[in-house]
Amino acid sequence: MITRKWIERIEGEASVQFTFEHNKVSFATIAFPHFRGMEAILHARPAMDALVITPRVCGICGHSHLFAAVRAIESVYANSGFPLEISPKAEALRELTLSLELIQNHFKWLYLVIYPELSHLVQCPIADSFRLKGAYAASLATKVLAIFAGQWPHSSYMIPGGVTCDPTYVDTVRAMGLLDELIRWFEKELTGISLEEYLHLSSTKALSRLSGDMGDLDKMLRAANMHKQGFSYDRYCVLGEHGFSKPSKNINKRTTKVNAKQVTLENPYTVDEKTYAKNALYQNNPFETGPLARAIINGIPLIKHLHRSFRDSTYSRIMARSYEIALLLNHCKILLQSIRLDEPSFIEPHKKITSLSGEGVGIVEAPRGPLMHKVTLNKGIIDHYALITPTQWNLASGSPQTPGPAQKAMIGADSIEIATFTFRAFDVCSVCTTH
Amino acid sequence: MSDRVEAVKKLFTSKSSRIETNKGDTYYQELFVKCEARLNELRANTPANRLDFSDLLEENGIDRREFMKWASATTAMLMLPPMFTPLVADAAVMMNRAPVIWLELQDCAGNSEALLRADGPKIDEIVLDIISLEYHETLQAASGHQAEKQLEEAMEHFKGKYLLFVEGAIPMGMSGQYGTIGASGETFHDHLVRCAANAAAVVAVGSCATFGGVPAASPNPTGAVGVMDVIKNKPLINIPACPANPANMVGVILHYLLTGQVPELDSLLRPKFAFGYRIHDNCERRAHFDAGEYVEEWGDAGAQNNFCLYKMGCKGPMTFNNCSIVRYNEAVNWPIGVGRGCIGCSEPDFWDKYAYERPMADAKIKAPTGGVEKTVDEFGLGMLTAAGIGIAIHAAASAVAGKREKSGESHE
Ligand code: SF4
Ligand code: SF4
Repeated sequence: MITRKWIERIEGEASVQFTFEHNKVSFATIAFPHFRGMEAILHARPAMDALVITPRVCGICGHSHLFAAVRAIESVYANSGFPLEISPKAEALRELTLSLELIQNHFKWLYLVIYPELSHLVQCPIADSFRLKGAYAASLATKVLAIFAGQWPHSSYMIPGGVTCDPTYVDTVRAMGLLDELIRWFEKELTGISLEEYLHLSSTKALSRLSGDMGDLDKMLRAANMHKQGFSYDRYCVLGEHGFSKPSKNINKRTTKVNAKQVTLENPYTVDEKTYAKNALYQNNPFETGPLARAIINGIPLIKHLHRSFRDSTYSRIMARSYEIALLLNHCKILLQSIRLDEPSFIEPHKKITSLSGEGVGIVEAPRGPLMHKVTLNKGIIDHYALITPTQWNLASGSPQTPGPAQKAMIGADSIEIATFTFRAFDVCSVCTTH
Repeated sequence: MSDRVEAVKKLFTSKSSRIETNKGDTYYQELFVKCEARLNELRANTPANRLDFSDLLEENGIDRREFMKWASATTAMLMLPPMFTPLVADAAVMMNRAPVIWLELQDCAGNSEALLRADGPKIDEIVLDIISLEYHETLQAASGHQAEKQLEEAMEHFKGKYLLFVEGAIPMGMSGQYGTIGASGETFHDHLVRCAANAAAVVAVGSCATFGGVPAASPNPTGAVGVMDVIKNKPLINIPACPANPANMVGVILHYLLTGQVPELDSLLRPKFAFGYRIHDNCERRAHFDAGEYVEEWGDAGAQNNFCLYKMGCKGPMTFNNCSIVRYNEAVNWPIGVGRGCIGCSEPDFWDKYAYERPMADAKIKAPTGGVEKTVDEFGLGMLTAAGIGIAIHAAASAVAGKREKSGESHE
């Protein structure tokens, strides 16, 4: 018997079709029935247009797209023998605003998706206004972002060679003030202990003792048995290079080097349903990407500890992403303190973009995992542009022989509700998946 | 040249580009009475959702004084005289009675994101939080069939009374198969037509919904169009920009709630209270423009001194929107504030016509009579668009003035 269930909310719509056997999910396919054609739109445009068009791929992680586009163009420069010099200040600002985007994203997912769904699962209703907490925290993060990037979503303040803004002391003080406010809010609402202490936790027991929303999250997830299900391949991939995360893959608990050239695309598998998404694979294998992957590969003590007991369960996945908020808040603080305002924001390339030809790849870690932009330029005009987004990894729709990470995690679920929740723990972003 | 001048004159003097800020006492008296009656009617309705405005204000630590300040600013923004302030305040309190249905079509979900308090002054955010939770395809609690049922019930219940907000373009290519919705596989086009049928008015939010936006950029792979190309028989309000500013969404809803009418619109169906302003006229860098002080390269001395971005491709001179006044993210900043020129995102076809970093005069912008203009430096007095004409002359003149100053010829 095939039961069909639709999943929608946050970032457009995905459709998941479940097959049940003996009252358990035996297989599921994932389809994304809409398309815009962003790659075709980018074709034949001046390279710099990518900086305003690609952020519009996604209203929730557009800043990651901007950063990937800038890195892709800079990589064309490097590949043609003109590596660009980026000042530490510009580098720090880029990383700061990217981290803030990740933070807002994590907050929204946690409060608008995870809490409401989970409270429904464990039948412990929450107030409508509870969800607004996530929106509040997210808006504080984007406010800090906007001080340097002008607006969120859809800023285009990064450019090949640096950034356009030239912040003053007043700007950084204001940013620090808002960031502190956000950290204090985080401590009060989520953990009940200081960020410092939270970052030093190394046992799962300490997590359940927390008094804030994080403590409730832990309890609710366990009550829903989420530490005993949602297992996927336990195989991870990180491709973007940042201060907060290094590229690597992890198979059978061993972390080894990655090479982005091994990333391939595969046609999706669905039954009687159209989808516009392509599956992303590494050496033809599905890999889980995103916060859990980053935590495992970067050896974050608490998450590694958690992983030892609960592997890649839905519990680990959700805890890793919520914990990343704390890691990133701390990272932002360090970045803000490190910025030297007297450095240049932009260092002019030695070659005009209008005479630039060649190929380049830009990769960043977006909220849900690695985001790749591949570009071929001909005298500064885009010949070819390809986007590979994080959800193409996690929400890949593979065949019964090689299901994607989310598909695999849903197999064995007792009910559609549980499978749906498992799916949401990966976080749907349909606009990115099909672009 | 003369036909161009005529065309520009026509555009500037056309009735739809005039903003009447004073319509006379009798008009406002009548409107006031009407608004009061409407509010009383609303008061009798049951709230559409459980969020309570006063509670949320309190939770956010906003006191009555602050709220009234907001109400009077909003009244002014809506171009109503001060006596309407208490009514605007009442309307805001009754926001949870505002029947608003929100559709998401071919979009990036960026406007929902903006709506989710990413932006806008705090009280606007609260207002949006309140209206946004019940029938919003992205934000509502229910999903799947349950959501569809909720939507149908809402449309039935508020028949002829609800405002339909639409985010995203409508892909017409391949018989609409580039975008389908729900278990039925209904195309975005059919979904929109169905939901608009019983709406009081349709509000297109963001550049995708208004003019097709990014998806419609050349070569428009999916045949994307804006709402006004599909819905012809309904009052329609366009709130373009990418993303649209939440303050303007709130403005439209409040105006409707209060008066039962759509606000006054320009020829592109944009509310004049928001799009009657030109970016350039309210830009903090305008003085530098007037003085002929431009950023010539990213990161140069001009950039460090916040000079005008005209030569870096700023499209502020021909873009109508209030972001130079309202700004983004709780008024923290806006693109020009970080040295990034305006890209003209509230104008039709801006992806193709306005291009991006090319200086405005290099971009393929058609003057009202057609034709591509030369650069300012090359030609001096290129006429850019209707709005740009005075600017181009001014830019050229001030550039000359600027140069003179540099070479020590100024009278100082
Ligand atoms: S107008 Fe901009 S923000 Fe709105 S849906 Fe389109 S791309 Fe996204
Ligand atoms: S051209 Fe742009 S930066 Fe210069 S004054 Fe006008 S709007 Fe401002």
